[in-house]
Amino acid sequence: MLASFEIREPDYGVLSPAAWPRLIIIIIGVLSVIYLLQSIGMPKEDKEAAPRKTIGEFILYWRNVIAVFTIFGLYLLVLPYLGMLVGNILFSFILLTVLGGWNSILIHLMLAFGASGGMWLLFTYVLEVFLPRGSLTGL
Amino acid sequence: MDIFLEALLNIIDPVTLTYMVIGVGAGLMAGSIPGFTIAMAIVLTLPFTFSMPPAQGLATMISVLVGGLSGGLMSGILTGIPGTPSSVATTFDGFPMARNGEPGLALGIGVWSSFCGGIISAVLLVLFAPQLAMVGLEFQPWDFFMLVMFALTVTASLAGEHLVKGLIAGAAGLFIRTVGEDDAVGVGRFDFGSDYLLSGFNFIAVLIGLFAFSQLLSDLRNPVTARNALSDRKQVKVKIEHRRAIGILLKNWVVVIRSALIGMFTGILPGAGGSIANILAYDQAKKAAKDDANFGKGDPRGIIAPETSNNAVEGGALTPLMALGIPGDITAAIMLGALLMHDIVPGPTFIKDEPALAYSIYIAFFLASFIMIGMQSGVLRVFVLVTRIKTYVLATVILTFATIGVFALHNSIEDIWTLFFFGILGFVMRQFGFPLAPMILGVVLGNIAELNLARALAIDADPMLFFVRPWSLFFAIVAVFSMIFPIYQKHRDTGSLLERLFSPMVLLSLSLPLFMMGGFLRTTLAVAAIAVSGFILWRRFGSKSKA
Repeated sequence: MLASFEIREPDYGVLSPAAWPRLIIIIIGVLSVIYLLQSIGMPKEDKEAAPRKTIGEFILYWRNVIAVFTIFGLYLLVLPYLGMLVGNILFSFILLTVLGGWNSILIHLMLAFGASGGMWLLFTYVLEVFLPRGSLTGL
Repeated sequence: MDIFLEALLNIIDPVTLTYMVIGVGAGLMAGSIPGFTIAMAIVLTLPFTFSMPPAQGLATMISVLVGGLSGGLMSGILTGIPGTPSSVATTFDGFPMARNGEPGLALGIGVWSSFCGGIISAVLLVLFAPQLAMVGLEFQPWDFFMLVMFALTVTASLAGEHLVKGLIAGAAGLFIRTVGEDDAVGVGRFDFGSDYLLSGFNFIAVLIGLFAFSQLLSDLRNPVTARNALSDRKQVKVKIEHRRAIGILLKNWVVVIRSALIGMFTGILPGAGGSIANILAYDQAKKAAKDDANFGKGDPRGIIAPETSNNAVEGGALTPLMALGIPGDITAAIMLGALLMHDIVPGPTFIKDEPALAYSIYIAFFLASFIMIGMQSGVLRVFVLVTRIKTYVLATVILTFATIGVFALHNSIEDIWTLFFFGILGFVMRQFGFPLAPMILGVVLGNIAELNLARALAIDADPMLFFVRPWSLFFAIVAVFSMIFPIYQKHRDTGSLLERLFSPMVLLSLSLPLFMMGGFLRTTLAVAAIAVSGFILWRRFGSKSKA
């Protein structure tokens, strides 16, 4: 809402550029209050249906999701340095191994090279899309 | 005729045909994998179509859609696990029939029902879209704005008890689209000094993040099931019994037509898609059957109804998209995204302004149904084999593909960050029970709503015009009643005042804008609406008080 007051007001046009987003924010605000009131009014049994988890249990429960978020975030950070070919092979290999375990490491390696390399070839040579090269790898 | 030929040549071009075959195959695979939705397959196809001419890109996407709608029946019939929500009802009778030793017949009925649904809805699309577009020519900015509001509220109301969550999601979708330069006057909003934000989020990246990324995360959440194959079925030795299946369909042609009409009508309604149509059609087939004892035990009508209706949905969903520029469901919303990507803005003049493209869509729809039936019969085994791949392998490969695809849209790494950010947002929303369909519609329709609001106020600053113009009022009334609908559903069969008043009030309220529109047909409709509502009120209140 505060950011909507930073929007420049031009001298032309009937609808101010800030009006529409501000209207939406107000609607979201009102709906959120209704949602909050509904949650407060919810029967006690419903609220207690999901038992509270400790931090350890929480991490264990969501470990795959946390792993995907972390690996994807790291991949995005190193993408400018490694480039899309190397970055994608590494990303898919690490993700496959973290999610699927170390027992099938050779299959994961082949899959990472096959899938990422195949897609890189398809986009680069068939669809003629310029995929980013890494400043460190040059690929 | 020249335009038709131009469109036909666009589609029967060998490259386009190859893409269509690949598209149908990809759709069939996506549809046969439980947990991977058709919308996800279509949204992942988008980046590919970016470099194609519009007709070719749309034909490819339609092929994925037609394949996906039919793919769900294979796993549903053979494993009892529906590949897509659109095939849930197919398993009620398809799986028992397969277990009773007739999997070939069950598949045959499913495949041919899908084909009939697709063809009937394609015919209806060709007939109805131009008619609806003619009505759409009457729409002014006030009416378009209200139409978008109606589409959003109807979609949100489908969340049932979670209406508020649906509305919040829809509003959040509208808000996401406000980031960047305002389309009306070109002023930057919520850019915080970033050039990327100034140009707005790439909405294809937003859609892929919200829908595909978040779905993959949900599929991977459980470490045990993530390492399992989607199905433990080792081999498929089934021969589809085409001749017997066609015979059964011809014998039950009434079920075919009725289910196709249910699918078509459900598709036209914004937000309602195959997941609703297949259950509705199944329910109607069961109710209409003189002998329903066999339903749930392998009755052919229990396969015909859902499979015909879920394929007919897309003809319905494409009708308002082509005629008014308003998508009928998520997949049509993504199609709208594809059109916008090629700088084509559908609206009432779309069929008139871009006739070759409109005809290309019709022809692609027909042709994709034929390709689908050929592929279903020929390479059924391959599609079921896909379900033996482990979930985490499939998810990783799709995620890698999505990443490259999103980058390819504008050669921008920031778009991958958008994908990541909205993937997290979509996942969190899923976990808290927020429906994503209204949000996606909000993202796709956000700027259309704002532009029409700005245009309306530029013509006349009086906001009351949104409620006194006939079409605008019509959509406002339907939007209000669609928000009350979940409450009405909760009170059904309770004999409450709301239950007794709801339908007559809808009819009475709608008669007002119909009267305002004038003309013989609409006035007659208004009179009929008043008469029917009066009759319902008399039945519910008058006859009881006499008794």
